[in-house]
Amino acid sequence: MSVILSLDHVVKRFGGLTATNDMSFEVYKGESLGLIGPNGAGKTTIFSLIMGEHKVTSGSIKLHGQELTGLPTHKRIRRGVARTYQVPRPFAEMDVLANIEVGLMPDSILGMLTSAADHQEGKAIARSVGLSDADLHRDPAELSMGDLRKLELARTLATRPEVMLLDEVFAGLTAGEIEMISGLLNEKRQEGLTYVIVSHDLRSLEPLIDRAIAITQGTFVCQGSYSDVMNDEAVRMAYLGH
Amino acid sequence: MSSAIKWQHLLAWGIFLGVLALLPELVEMKWIKRGTLRTFIFANYLAIFAMSWDVLSGRTGYISFGHPFLIGIGAYTTGILNVRFGIDPMISIPVAVLVTMAAGTLFFLPALRIAGSYFALVTLAFMELVYQLVQVIRPDLTGGTRGISGVDTLARGAVNNYYISLVLMGVIAVILWAMMKTRLGTALSAIGMNEEAVEGSGLNTTKLKLFAFMVGAAVAGIGGAFYAHYLGYVSPRGLFEINLAFTIIVSALIGGAGTIIGPIIGAMFLTFLLEFLRVKFSAELTTAWPILETLETALKGQGRYFIYGLIALIIYMYQPKGIVEIGARLLTRIRGAKA
Repeated sequence: MSVILSLDHVVKRFGGLTATNDMSFEVYKGESLGLIGPNGAGKTTIFSLIMGEHKVTSGSIKLHGQELTGLPTHKRIRRGVARTYQVPRPFAEMDVLANIEVGLMPDSILGMLTSAADHQEGKAIARSVGLSDADLHRDPAELSMGDLRKLELARTLATRPEVMLLDEVFAGLTAGEIEMISGLLNEKRQEGLTYVIVSHDLRSLEPLIDRAIAITQGTFVCQGSYSDVMNDEAVRMAYLGH
Repeated sequence: MSSAIKWQHLLAWGIFLGVLALLPELVEMKWIKRGTLRTFIFANYLAIFAMSWDVLSGRTGYISFGHPFLIGIGAYTTGILNVRFGIDPMISIPVAVLVTMAAGTLFFLPALRIAGSYFALVTLAFMELVYQLVQVIRPDLTGGTRGISGVDTLARGAVNNYYISLVLMGVIAVILWAMMKTRLGTALSAIGMNEEAVEGSGLNTTKLKLFAFMVGAAVAGIGGAFYAHYLGYVSPRGLFEINLAFTIIVSALIGGAGTIIGPIIGAMFLTFLLEFLRVKFSAELTTAWPILETLETALKGQGRYFIYGLIALIIYMYQPKGIVEIGARLLTRIRGAKA
């Protein structure tokens, strides 16, 4: 399996706090990787570092062997990495389709001025995440949390990522909605999407990942299959304190 | 959001601008006073300023309190070139627009680091700074506190000046409207809603904002330069003025920010509201009700600004999306009633 994304000795310090401490791991093509750790372990910080929302203090992050550190977020997205957020952040005054179409826009003023949106493409992406045609012209405010997650996924998928970083996709969802999003992710996984997923809901995470990496206090603890990681003594210490 | 340009839209623009083009005929027919035409000229320029503000602030959410900074740069540049160096307005105006766009870049720099009320305050500081500077630096060029008089006028009489202002306003409106109908307009509005999510969609928000600032500055420069040639003078207090800044912002907001027709309607509404509040009651009425005389005196001065502020506030509180939205909802209701 070829490596798509790699972190090499990544360090992030916020003043005196080390949020990411010498983190190294690789993500393979077609893989689904779970990033697990207790609250404040620094999972979301890793996502922010990969996306360039925070700058690394030291270390290197590569996509297909090309250095990402130093690039602004939008350029990293064009290279093929994208993320969702714990709290969905739709464009409130645009309908669902228009929201998705923002992700389909060319990053050029001239391109934006001269080419029209391809509604079919936007609709196809909406359908692929399970949004109905009736949802397309709804405002985000009218959507349930589950549908907002779908919209967030659709807008992120519209940028055609090779690796997707999914941050707490199950937060605030009902059991039914978790099942729905879970099914959707499994589908995308079958289609060959590579993703890294962070969730507190470890039970929902289990069937969705090939491999897990445990971190605590910004430090790598162990990696392996879900059950190996969950049975690791250091992981049990971090989670349960015994 | 953005949708394809339809012929109905163009027809609506044609009718709207066509009706405005007929106004001088009404003056000929003595239906409206020549002075009213002058009011329309001011309204047209105010509409240009408000559209310029809206491209920059109404869309992207980077609220500028110092918009007269850009307008003033345009006006002063053409004024200095024309009066001090004898350069023809046909050259001094385009140069003024370019200089204003350069000033727009300067205006843009704070937007790289700050947003919200901090950005608004910095823009206000920009305006105040230039207001102070033009009075002390090279007064031989800027005319110091008195400004520059004797700026060449482009046309004589209210009617000709009205047409110039109307054509300018109409051309700018239609170009901006067509531009904002594209995906660019959608992207700029998206920045106003959630800038991080736009960046997170793979779009370079710095480039988009810079473009909005350049377009906004170009329009402010055109408006400011032509306005200077209409008035025939430029003065620091007439241009770098907080009241002008707020009139522009209120025009855009109560008309409908994030639209093109909104700032135009807002500008006309405000201008005529201020004119309308300059009431003169007949002698019979004031004798019968002396309170009317008190009201008349109050409205002559700052009193009408109080009422104007109150009306603007009520409209804005009733419908934050402005008069355009009130009209649109009314239309939907009428259509709904018919169906």
